Amino acid sequence: MNLYEVVMDYLYDGTFEGLLTCIYFHYKEENATGIYNASSYQQSIVNEYKIIKTDETKAGTVSNAINNKISREAYINVFYCFLSDIENKENIILEFLVFAFKYGKNTMNFFSHEKVLPINEAYIKVSREEHKFLGILRFSDIGGILYSRFSPDNDILILITDHFADRYKYEKFIIHDEKRKKAVIYSEEAWEIKENVIIENPEYSRDEKILQSLWKQYFNDLAIKERTNINLQFQFVPSRYRKNMAEFK
Amino acid sequence: MFEKLKILSDAAKYDVSCVSSGVERSNNTSGGIGNASAAGICHAWSSDGRCISLLKILLTNDCIYDCKYCLNKVTNNIKRATFTPEEVAELTIQFYRRNYIEGLFLSSAVEKSPDHTMENIYKVLYLLRYKYNFWGYVHVKVIPGASPLLVEKTGALADRMSVNIELPTRESLKILAPQKKIEKILEPMNLIKNETTRYIEDKKHFVNAPRFVPGGQSTQMIIGATPDSDKTILNVSQNLYDRFSMKRVFFSAYIPVVTSPNLPAVSSMPPLLREHRLYQADWLMRFYYFKSEELFTEIEPNLDLEFDPKMMYALRNLDRFPIEINKASYEELLRVPGLGVTSAQRIIRERKNAELSYDTLKKMKTVLKRARYFITINGKYYGNTEFEPDAIKEEIRFKEIQKQLSIYEFI
Repeated sequence: MNLYEVVMDYLYDGTFEGLLTCIYFHYKEENATGIYNASSYQQSIVNEYKIIKTDETKAGTVSNAINNKISREAYINVFYCFLSDIENKENIILEFLVFAFKYGKNTMNFFSHEKVLPINEAYIKVSREEHKFLGILRFSDIGGILYSRFSPDNDILILITDHFADRYKYEKFIIHDEKRKKAVIYSEEAWEIKENVIIENPEYSRDEKILQSLWKQYFNDLAIKERTNINLQFQFVPSRYRKNMAEFK
Repeated sequence: MFEKLKILSDAAKYDVSCVSSGVERSNNTSGGIGNASAAGICHAWSSDGRCISLLKILLTNDCIYDCKYCLNKVTNNIKRATFTPEEVAELTIQFYRRNYIEGLFLSSAVEKSPDHTMENIYKVLYLLRYKYNFWGYVHVKVIPGASPLLVEKTGALADRMSVNIELPTRESLKILAPQKKIEKILEPMNLIKNETTRYIEDKKHFVNAPRFVPGGQSTQMIIGATPDSDKTILNVSQNLYDRFSMKRVFFSAYIPVVTSPNLPAVSSMPPLLREHRLYQADWLMRFYYFKSEELFTEIEPNLDLEFDPKMMYALRNLDRFPIEINKASYEELLRVPGLGVTSAQRIIRERKNAELSYDTLKKMKTVLKRARYFITINGKYYGNTEFEPDAIKEEIRFKEIQKQLSIYEFI
């Protein structure tokens, strides 16, 4: 590394708009050598850093540019990558976008290119978990409100909410991401995401307990003894997902 | 309720179909619950590793028939139970609200008469759709012999219907299910086919065309209870796809549950591997442009159990291989053992940019474990063996043993 070259890290507030604002300044002002979440940034003596204030308009400019100059597919992959739990996801996105703005609409055909592959892998990882939780999320009826808690690897709350908002259109429900302490609250065909949510263990009514045991019994009876294949079951439902599923309690 | 659910889910669990796919519908009811997703959603996996997507139960196991292979036959001394339509609807809704299931798969033994049973199945659907305003996925069995009017009314509310063909040939059916007549089975299949065709046609012209099983129909047959060969089974299934526009033909390995001189002994193992091979072959015919005669030889009417059908096809037709990854057409790529639809599409897409090398294929996560023996990459062959059927088989067996050994060392 050339020591006289300025090494400039951009710090953002952890939101998607914040990240896109960083990309904006990367092009309009000074090249970013890296983008990091301000809350977990490790300062070092050689790197200078700049705190970037989130700006919705600038973020909008970048998101339009990704959609129009690269492709909708690229935009979706970037967003999914942002929601992943991959450690240096910001820099994967930065490097991908720098490459993609050069190659334009054709970019996503370079599936295995070193700048594109990580984005694709992140997309596959996150969308897999998203689809899985459409199935394995469990609700319980707490006084007429459907309540669900989960701790996904990736931040998929926003991805799965639309599905449940459609499915339970005229119900009230709460989906609570315990790991990230946030929850989506849905009622009257509208929803919002609340941060810093802590919900204590709810008290189940008698009916709720009966239904959970009915389900558990059904679940156990359905297995065909002659075909037992516990490993396969673990492949589909890893143990970390099981603690909120009534049938495994 | 616990007892009833136990008996009636136990009796339904050998039914194979549990798919909830094929219908895309968002919730545009007023005050209703439920939607359907075309890709299907699995909600749980039982300890046999099978996906649970639907609440799969019998309405009753109280049967007037005496089919030899069936646990619920009238001469069998078992506990009997019957749900009321109200109970089934309520349970479905409560499971659905908790996201345990994607919908209902309702089957039934024949209680009193086909019409009586079909009428109760219709009642369940009616309650679900109109009393509970439920628009999740519902798959119901049609009881052969029920009046066409009932079948039609039920079809207007269901997402998928199925009539069990039960066994691959007339002879088998005569021996094992003497009270069931093939004509009575094909009749409703035909009705469903005609109505669905009507629905698909009407939909093009009218927004509010009366719906009819938008998920199409399927059927299932029992494998291994009779001496029918794989070739016969696949020909029958091809026939069913063509004649009745089936969405799926399911195979169910016969699990010996009752004793009969005409059936395999109760202690015998169900032919699971054979069932798996049949599904693979079925898949090849439906999505990989294979014809059933390409999967068999003149002398061997059964599929190989050691190697999958595509591998066997390739080994028999080595003169068509190896194919060059950078030049082969999509259809040719699909014929390479170990390459699936995703890999083939990725290869086509990626090679537009640059010639593919061994490393790029690896990076693209293409599995070359079996494919390597049948391809060249930029003219180079990576099979590492003589290009000859027995040598390739030997090499694959050897690799398999090596893999197992290294797992043991690891433990």
